[in-house]
Amino acid sequence: MMRVASGFCVAALFASALVGVEAQDRPQQPAAEWRQKHDFGLKYRTASELYQALRTAARGGKQNPPFSELPDWSGLWTQAGGGSFVAPGPAGIGPTLTPKAAAAVKEGQALAAQGISYDENLSECGPPGFPRWLVIPFLREFIVRPEQTWLSSETVNNVRRIYTDGRGHPSPQDAYPLYYGDSIGFWDGQKLVIHTSQLMARSMGRNQPEQSEQMETVETWEKIDARTIVADAWIYDPAIYQQPWYLQRRYSQVANEDKLLRMNYWHCGENPNNEVYKTPEGNTQYRDFRFTPSDAAPQAPPR
Amino acid sequence: MSRVLQIAVFGAMTVAVPAAITYAHHSGTMFDDKKQVTVEGVVKEFQYTNPHSWLLVDVTNPDGTVTTWGFEAEGPNTLLQAKIRRSDFAPGTKLTISGFPMRDGRPAAAWTKAVRADGVEFYPRGRNPGIQ
Repeated sequence: MMRVASGFCVAALFASALVGVEAQDRPQQPAAEWRQKHDFGLKYRTASELYQALRTAARGGKQNPPFSELPDWSGLWTQAGGGSFVAPGPAGIGPTLTPKAAAAVKEGQALAAQGISYDENLSECGPPGFPRWLVIPFLREFIVRPEQTWLSSETVNNVRRIYTDGRGHPSPQDAYPLYYGDSIGFWDGQKLVIHTSQLMARSMGRNQPEQSEQMETVETWEKIDARTIVADAWIYDPAIYQQPWYLQRRYSQVANEDKLLRMNYWHCGENPNNEVYKTPEGNTQYRDFRFTPSDAAPQAPPR
Repeated sequence: MSRVLQIAVFGAMTVAVPAAITYAHHSGTMFDDKKQVTVEGVVKEFQYTNPHSWLLVDVTNPDGTVTTWGFEAEGPNTLLQAKIRRSDFAPGTKLTISGFPMRDGRPAAAWTKAVRADGVEFYPRGRNPGIQ
């Protein structure tokens, strides 16, 4: 028996939801605090200068601190919203984009409005990379040790290693682009301060502009209560921003009383029903499904 | 007898703002979040996999043939947070299941709700999801 019935839904409000995760998040930071931290970034010409200023303010900071001085970031975490790479912050101020980046944002918004979206990285099981890593969903785990901190996410099984043993970055002559860059840091009390360079030129997300190899960032990570870690990030990339851009992201601890949630390895090819391809229009589409034995030899659309 | 309930829903004004579905591996634009499809059937297989899971449901059509529908959800850790375990949908479980259907008409949907024959309800994307 089949019947069709009219219904009531919230579909009319979905149009603006056809955008990246990043732009959907609601800012949670007070506008005055956002403004203060945003303007703080404007005082420094480069991320390195900002990092050194924070280090000076921390009287050099601590490297290799004993375990007893390190914060407890154990448990599982997930992103809980915050700022965007291109949308205005809580004070209503948006990034000063380069003309190329502004055009890319406009084009991305037009595609999103048409319901067109393809993820050049994640759809093909590539890494989200950094700084997109800051905004991706799903579980995270943070491993804090004196000589390094691991910031991991289950999305394509990634780990950012933050070296706090006093080492510097490789020399510019020896540096090479990396998905997550090269990160060094120091501890300012219970706050981890990170400088990241050696980032790869690539898309910052679905329908988002392209970051360049010139991008460098500074982050501060701090647990502000038992269930919340806050990351402040200043992004310097002359290919996208005419002035450094600041955003704050929050991470909430995930309830896991029964201990069933665990960081697991995952691969996009694990289940053939998850295989997608890019359509000629630039959209995302599933390949032939394998729901029944007769589906076993699909006529796959061209890649 | 199993049956198919195809519920076409169109845009309407409401004050409720849905929680957008998060698609991290790929975009969800292949699903039409302006429509809901609901079918009654029997679980064939619960593919509890990353980065997306698929609940395969055999649905008997009016002419007696059987169509296997696929209902897509996020991976196991997201399902566990929605209180959906693999054992909740063993093969042979009778249920009514809903989702946003594929735009191209294939028998698949972004899973939004399931009600087992014992009356237990499951919401893999919360109670008021939207596509993102």
